[in-house]
Amino acid sequence: MDGLNLDVKKNSVTGLLGPNGAGKTTCINIICGLVKADDGTARVFDKNCFGAKEEIRKKIGVVPQQIALFGNLTAWENYNYIGSLYNLSKALIHERANYLLERLGLFKHADKRIGRYSGGMKRRANIIASLLHDPELVILDEPTAGVDVQSRALIHDFLQEYHQRNKTILYTSHHLDEAEELCEQVVIIDEGKYILSGSPKELIATTPGTRKLEDVFLHYTGHSVRD
Amino acid sequence: MRKIAATILKEWILLKRDLGGIALLFLMPVMMIIVMALIQDAPFKDYQELKFDLLMVNNDKGKLAHEIIEGFIKSKNFNVIENIDGKQLTDESLKKYLQKGTYHVGIIIPAGATAEVVNAANLISNDLSKKLGLGGTLPARESRSTTYVRVLFDPVSKPTFRSSITFAIDKFVTYSCSNMLLQRLSKMAATVEDDKNEATSDFEKVFKGIGVKEEMVFEDKNDKKLINSTQHNVPSWAIFGMFFIVIPIAGHMIREREDGSATRVALIPYSWLMVSLGQIIFYTLVCAVQFWCMMAIGLWFLPLLGLSKLYLGLNVFSLIPISLSIAFTATAYGYFIGSVFKTINQALPLGAVSVVILSALGGLWVPVELLPEVMKKVARFSPLNWGLDAVNTITLRKGNLLEVLPDLLILLSFGLLLWIASMFFNQSRKISVQ
Repeated sequence: MDGLNLDVKKNSVTGLLGPNGAGKTTCINIICGLVKADDGTARVFDKNCFGAKEEIRKKIGVVPQQIALFGNLTAWENYNYIGSLYNLSKALIHERANYLLERLGLFKHADKRIGRYSGGMKRRANIIASLLHDPELVILDEPTAGVDVQSRALIHDFLQEYHQRNKTILYTSHHLDEAEELCEQVVIIDEGKYILSGSPKELIATTPGTRKLEDVFLHYTGHSVRD
Repeated sequence: MRKIAATILKEWILLKRDLGGIALLFLMPVMMIIVMALIQDAPFKDYQELKFDLLMVNNDKGKLAHEIIEGFIKSKNFNVIENIDGKQLTDESLKKYLQKGTYHVGIIIPAGATAEVVNAANLISNDLSKKLGLGGTLPARESRSTTYVRVLFDPVSKPTFRSSITFAIDKFVTYSCSNMLLQRLSKMAATVEDDKNEATSDFEKVFKGIGVKEEMVFEDKNDKKLINSTQHNVPSWAIFGMFFIVIPIAGHMIREREDGSATRVALIPYSWLMVSLGQIIFYTLVCAVQFWCMMAIGLWFLPLLGLSKLYLGLNVFSLIPISLSIAFTATAYGYFIGSVFKTINQALPLGAVSVVILSALGGLWVPVELLPEVMKKVARFSPLNWGLDAVNTITLRKGNLLEVLPDLLILLSFGLLLWIASMFFNQSRKISVQ
């Protein structure tokens, strides 16, 4: 990261956008205290991200790009275990997991092992695991990567609904149409540097010759392929 | 506490579903114990406990040959064979059978052996009689060159086997010669005392007055059963199997890092230590159960195969803390391997090979007492040896918990050190949400 200044407002949906290698995942790693920034400050809920990482982690839910679940356990077993590690009561785990499973269309598959889920089901199950402790801030790293249109739409609707419950969402995606629709503000970064930020409508309006967020993105990050 | 319990439950479910892992943990050591105990049963038995087929060519037909053969038959260690397929054995046919490997040991008593021994005995008796002024001489001629009772072996026989058999045969020949000399002296004494039988019996008593009798340090009816294949192989391979937990633990840890579930746990506040503790407790218990299952094999299954029953000593309950200490160290070792190595391809072969090496060095394959001096010193650096030594102190040396405390402290300290080092590696490893 180099000179990135990112301010995520409470109860907002912020999209962190950038081509491959832009530094989106590094940024998330810093926010959740997995990586210590060499320089500069990163604060969440007014606390230093690395120094108070355990405190911060109580209030944030991170949905990694990888399916961070135990493949040989069923969805229920995964949620019981993860919920117990968050010190949630059995009843609360049951109540929240039930709601989320129902909402994300996995209720009838809850007794199946995660390893036997389809790609889209795994993505949804991954999201549920990160929301069991009802975090105030949800950080999603490519939550819709490699899923079918139906699953994408379901996740999209769910995130909008979740946001309505006064939750803050920070998410990264390569699906710019999705970001345009979902985010109140987007931040475009490239090669670890801040490029620009603003609401999708504002950015489209102020960037000449653009009709959608993807045009704005290409305008500022160029057409060269990134590895 | 809840986090530890949840982790134990999760590990239990995962292990239940990993049939390969369960087979590795429980079936592999069972197979090792059965196979090795059966293979090593004979080498562990003193040669005097075994019965060998002994080919015999009796070219002498005299008293000496008769006494040697009787001696072998009475010893119950030899099955004396003079005819095969109805044919009397000859020097040539005996060699042929030994060369084929059908039989492993044969004896050829030369013609005239009795005459030679009788002559020698007469010469000695005459000499003694003359010196003592007893009068009377037995018929004798000048002694000829030494007559040998020839012992022949299957060419693949081991030197220890050869020396044991040669020693036993030599003992019978010497006994027969001495007996013959005694009879000659008795005969002469009887001439003087006119009481043949009494004199002979007195001579025998004198010779039986000094002998060798083996006794054990402890007074216990089980003493004679202790040094056997079961007693060596059951604890050895049980400990070996316990350390083989390195495979499921390391594989499991690396897979969790690779599939991202370790990242999930890392993102949950105040969890890593509790999760690590839960895993250590779970696998320690699995290893301890494994140990006692292997003991059960030694107690109840091996005797069904004709092997000795495992003897657990006088302080069986002392084996509980010992098994838990070994289990903890084995688990910590697996945890260490799973933490240090990045990939399964690195961890599993190296983990397995290291356990094999540590077990060989630690005297699990061959008792430490039989190792060369240098290796005996090296053995003291193997955690498997600390465990085996503690078990042997309880079972073979009839020790108690106090006596094995140094071994247990070393085991536990080593395990703790490995666990701390593993946590350090895990904490310093760069974890990413990706």
